[in-house]
Amino acid sequence: MCSVTSKMFEYDPPTKEYATDPKIISRNVKCLVCQATILEMEKEIKKVDPRKKVEVSGFRMDSDGFSEMKSVQYSKSETYLTELMDTICKKMEDYAKARHKTSRKLLILKMVTDEGTMNPLMSAVDFVQDGDLNKSLEHFCLEVLEDHEEAILTEFMKDVPEKNIDHIKHKKESRKRDRSPDVAVKSSSRFEREREKDRRERQDRHKKHKSDKSRKHDSRHGSSRTGRAANRDDYHSDSSDVVEIIDPPPAPIISSKPPPAPSISSKPPPAPIISRKSRSISPIPDGGAGDVLSIAETNKLRAKLGLKPLETNSDTTAQEPKKDADGLKMHKDEWGEFLHKPADNLADKLQAEKLREKFRQKKEKRQIDNKLKTIKGLGESDDFDDINAWIEHSREKEKLKAEALKRAKMLEEMDEELASNEVSRPSVRKGNRNNYTEKNLRGLKVGHNMESFGEGKTVILTLKDHDVLAEDEDELVNVNMIDDERYKKNTEVKKKNPNQYGYDVYEEQYDEFGEQIHRNILGKYDEEIDGIKPNSFSIGETLEDERAQKRRLLEIKAKLAGKKLESLDEPSLKLASDVYTDDELAKFKKPKKKVKKLRRKLKAEDLLPLSGSAESSSKDYGKRLRLHNDHVDTDDVVDTDFKDIKIEEEDNELEKILSKTRRLKQKESLITKSLTSVEASQDVKMEVDSDDDNGEIASKDNICLNETAEFCRTLGDIPTYGMSGNRDEDAGDMMDFEQEHFEPDEPVEEKRSTGGTWNSVNPDLEAIVEDKSNEMIEVAILDEEPDVGSGMGAALKLALSKGYLEREETNRPSNTRMAHLQAKNYSIEDKAYGEDEKFQRRDRYHSGPISEFKEKESYRPNVKLEYIDDSGRLLNEKEAFRYLSHKFHGKGPGKNKIEKRLKKNEQDGLMMKMSSTDTPLGTLTMLQHKQKETHSPYIVLSGSKQAQSTSITKHK
Amino acid sequence: MIEITCNDRLGKKVRVKCNPEDTIGDLKKLIAAQTGTKYDKIVLKKWYTIFKDQIRLCDYEIHDGMNLELYYQ
Repeated sequence: MCSVTSKMFEYDPPTKEYATDPKIISRNVKCLVCQATILEMEKEIKKVDPRKKVEVSGFRMDSDGFSEMKSVQYSKSETYLTELMDTICKKMEDYAKARHKTSRKLLILKMVTDEGTMNPLMSAVDFVQDGDLNKSLEHFCLEVLEDHEEAILTEFMKDVPEKNIDHIKHKKESRKRDRSPDVAVKSSSRFEREREKDRRERQDRHKKHKSDKSRKHDSRHGSSRTGRAANRDDYHSDSSDVVEIIDPPPAPIISSKPPPAPSISSKPPPAPIISRKSRSISPIPDGGAGDVLSIAETNKLRAKLGLKPLETNSDTTAQEPKKDADGLKMHKDEWGEFLHKPADNLADKLQAEKLREKFRQKKEKRQIDNKLKTIKGLGESDDFDDINAWIEHSREKEKLKAEALKRAKMLEEMDEELASNEVSRPSVRKGNRNNYTEKNLRGLKVGHNMESFGEGKTVILTLKDHDVLAEDEDELVNVNMIDDERYKKNTEVKKKNPNQYGYDVYEEQYDEFGEQIHRNILGKYDEEIDGIKPNSFSIGETLEDERAQKRRLLEIKAKLAGKKLESLDEPSLKLASDVYTDDELAKFKKPKKKVKKLRRKLKAEDLLPLSGSAESSSKDYGKRLRLHNDHVDTDDVVDTDFKDIKIEEEDNELEKILSKTRRLKQKESLITKSLTSVEASQDVKMEVDSDDDNGEIASKDNICLNETAEFCRTLGDIPTYGMSGNRDEDAGDMMDFEQEHFEPDEPVEEKRSTGGTWNSVNPDLEAIVEDKSNEMIEVAILDEEPDVGSGMGAALKLALSKGYLEREETNRPSNTRMAHLQAKNYSIEDKAYGEDEKFQRRDRYHSGPISEFKEKESYRPNVKLEYIDDSGRLLNEKEAFRYLSHKFHGKGPGKNKIEKRLKKNEQDGLMMKMSSTDTPLGTLTMLQHKQKETHSPYIVLSGSKQAQSTSITKHK
Repeated sequence: MIEITCNDRLGKKVRVKCNPEDTIGDLKKLIAAQTGTKYDKIVLKKWYTIFKDQIRLCDYEIHDGMNLELYYQ
């Protein structure tokens, strides 16, 4: 008989033997655990507030379309119970197996009471040593619950479960009893008694509850409230009962049974409260201010508003989640139904994996074993223990070996025989590669032009690579020849002018025999449109024929060479003469010779000996030059027939040079400061002019004297001259030229060396010089501009010096000007041949000086950077840098510097504005006034300074 | 069916049962029936969101037991 106490479950062994038997039968332990579990569950259920209720819909609709809602105690709801059953086995951790000290009865004891104190019964028992720390109790609990889950659930959920719980227990026990005859049950009569007692009590409670329910409810809330109050009463009464149970009288005698009634009465009254249709599902709001309509009222209202009735089945919180066919839990809320797929059980997975692994290993092992079975190990002995057997075996082996050898030899011999046969009859066996002959090659294509194979040369051909899937014929090629061809083609392509499209009339139209080549219009695109013409031939009989045909063709062509279809009345052939006829000469055009050549001839060294030789022939330089040129020409030009033309040309060149010298002289005349130098230049000029026309000299060099010039001559050099800075021309240039060309000219040299004064005069030229001197003076003083008449150049010069025109020197040599110096067709592309494509692409526009913008080949910008300061003045390089620098550093020049610069600028400006015909102080006008006044060509400078000054100031 | 509490903080607090598929307009009509104000004078808010009439409660994710602020215009 199992006795139920809260603390201890004891088991009465049926016999004394068992009591003393230290062995514990697990079935007995299980029975004890089962009792303890049920008790624990009851205790837990009792702890739940019986007022707590959940609504369970009955899924039945009445005539109005309302389903009945069933209000069930939470403690009896399935959800709670299942939850409880999941956790209840944890309680078993507190239990331990023990034996009563005196009776040696097996029992399980809860070591700690619910209040947290030690169980007072502990002293009365001996704990049983357990290897796994009484884990087995929990396992038993789990087992029990699993096996009888449905039964337990239904029993606990029953409205009047009190009786039946015991009943289950009883049933279980009896079943166990049946199975285990050694477990004795004390008596069922006692149990029956207890059950009767329970029934009575429960009936009483039922009556009470019924009377509660039958009471008239005036308000909905009131009713629920009263119901709850009643429940609370029940609960209180229950709890008092529980207290009794939890604190059992510490029974010194273990066999003493506590009255079972309280445990049974601990069940709350199960009467289900079936809610009426009109009842609100919502409890009264705490604030009490809520204005709540019932579902029915709401539905009525909704009907009036034209809305569909409320979906009342959505309250699923208390309902057991539905399970669908797959056993997945169905969850439904107001959004719809959801299937919750359970998470994968990792442990299961792991186990499966382990099993699989094990199987795999086994299998492998089996395989290996099988394999090893056939092989004999080193240590394993052979079958033949007998020495005779062994000998026999080895002999056999040897025999076999010898036989194999013999056979191999025979085969070899046969092979040889066959091979020798084939040598004599090559066509017998075609499979032999030794006999791969010309015949096999017949019809094979060779991917090269026939001409590319020289006669008698050996060229190794290989099969050309082609697509495996393509069904082309095999083709023989030589890799090197392919490369050569490609290179040739590339060069051809490169030769073509990329800018020229269309039909080129002037393209070479004749082949080597002078015959016209027939060309298609836009023939150059033939390759692109029709594809590259296969340049190949096939090995075979046609080879020779083709060759022969070609040869024949060539012969015909050669015969026809030079023959043209022309009219018969062509002029008869003449003997070719070594020299050109006059008409031919007229037609003949010789490419122009470059000037450079002549220039070289005019070097001083060249002139020197000649001047010596031609000394006798007067000072006529032109003549001399011409002579010299003639001389040179005879050296240079072989064809004497063209002498005249040549001379003409040379004369042109000569004239060029002369004009150049003239120009230089003009320049010189403007620049040279001293009278003598001017004179000398004049001299040179005269001489140069004499080259053209000697007779003109006199008329050309007429000198006009005027008063001013005469006057100024007496004044000598004007001290201010040259100070203004605009008169210093580059005399060096001049000097160079002079040195080059006129070194032999001694008189000039002399005159130049005496520059500065004009007193010393070459006696040869004295007359002329005297004549000219007056003009020279004029030039010296008013020098800049009077020469305007001499040519455009002079005028421009003047304009420049006066600032009317800007100097060109700011124009730096630009790209355009130097264009002719740049290489036109230079490229190092060939060097980069075969280099990385990517690299080339990247460097298309960045590969240094050789590359140009392909798109803007003709674009040569003339870039001029001009800087202008704040006042609008153009800055030169240095100034511009200074300006930028100041700007950059944010620090201007000092005050003094600024003043200095301003002053300089001002002076420059003044200089620009200065009159060209007068001194800066206007002395000339003053002078002229004075002279006009006095009617004399002179003024008297002698006398007191003051008088002079007054006289001048007067005229002011 | 869900239940929504609407509270203007001036003394009116109603609990309305409705379907999640109802629109805010329907809810307003129900509230109007329960409180006695005209439905077109009612403004429902949650924080700063004014609920619009033609949108369903479930689209606003109004769940069971939620509190809405009741205003009048």
